[in-house]
Amino acid sequence: MSAAAPGPAATGVFALVAQPASDFALPAAVGGNVRLSEYLGQPVVLSFWSSRCSLCAAQLSALNRYYGTYRSAGLIVLAVSVEDDPQRAIDYARAHATSYPLLLDRAKSVGRAYGIERLPTTVLIDRSGVVRYVHSDDRAGDASYVAQIRALLDDKPGAQ
Amino acid sequence: MNTMSRLLRMLLPLILISLHDPALAADPAAPAASAQAAAAPAAPAAAADAGAATRSLDEQIQGLKKDVVDLNKDLFVLEEELLFPANTQVAVFVSMDVGDFFALDSITLKIDNREVGDYLYTPREVAALLKGGVQRLYLGNLKSGEHELVAFFNGKGPNERSYRRAANIRFEKGVGAKYLELKITDHQRAQQPEFEIKDWE
Repeated sequence: MSAAAPGPAATGVFALVAQPASDFALPAAVGGNVRLSEYLGQPVVLSFWSSRCSLCAAQLSALNRYYGTYRSAGLIVLAVSVEDDPQRAIDYARAHATSYPLLLDRAKSVGRAYGIERLPTTVLIDRSGVVRYVHSDDRAGDASYVAQIRALLDDKPGAQ
Repeated sequence: MNTMSRLLRMLLPLILISLHDPALAADPAAPAASAQAAAAPAAPAAAADAGAATRSLDEQIQGLKKDVVDLNKDLFVLEEELLFPANTQVAVFVSMDVGDFFALDSITLKIDNREVGDYLYTPREVAALLKGGVQRLYLGNLKSGEHELVAFFNGKGPNERSYRRAANIRFEKGVGAKYLELKITDHQRAQQPEFEIKDWE
């Protein structure tokens, strides 16, 4: 399932489309804490995942590819683990060297704020901090993902 | 009200522009007309006029943007005055000096044994504090009387070891606003960080 504009009955994470993305600060599995609002002015791909979710691994790996390609253009990728046991996320981060930060949402407060109901869920946020697209399935390999990421990158900083 | 009159003053030029400027008017024939005009050989005088009109419009837009920013600032101040009146207002600030013996990760704040704040610091925020920045960590309301503030500091201490310390202060809330400052400093002789809560009388 994916959404680019909120329908009349948009619920959960889909209700966030066209709304300002909720700010948060989370510790990273490796490195310091990360606050979403520090990336205002850059497009952000926010991916919610868990090491127990088999589709999430493919999702994270696809996002790693996109990050490698579009990082120099200003793309930010943040993967939020909604794991019960944060150690599993840390182990995953060590085993799979992702080039973007893996964040630990121990209290699941960010997952709740974004209304996450299934994994993986990906939220694409534009340069002005507004949620533009939401995907609640594993289609990171889909060409539409790339098109949406490119659309976010094509927005001029401060144009909105 | 002052804010209302500013809002009206701000909107008035926008309405006038939309009424008088053909470029902004919702006329469906306008694009076709402008295309025809573009096709015709443009006289230098007409081009100069168009340039001046564009500049004038730009100036008006910049003026409007400035008004919006000013209005937003006024509304923010008004909101704070309404939500946190001076007679009940309590504000807690954080400052950090040197930081050789302590790398700040988070601060948890309790007032009268009730958690009122839990803030996670990013490396960029810590760098700003180390440069002399002061952060307002908490703004709230308290009734007059005696209260207790406890702050828990989490981070990395000397030798990169996890470090958790608490500091507390009992303070009297009077009729005016109360300002408290959490100060993190390095104690050079003890080679340890120091945590202090200062009451701005």
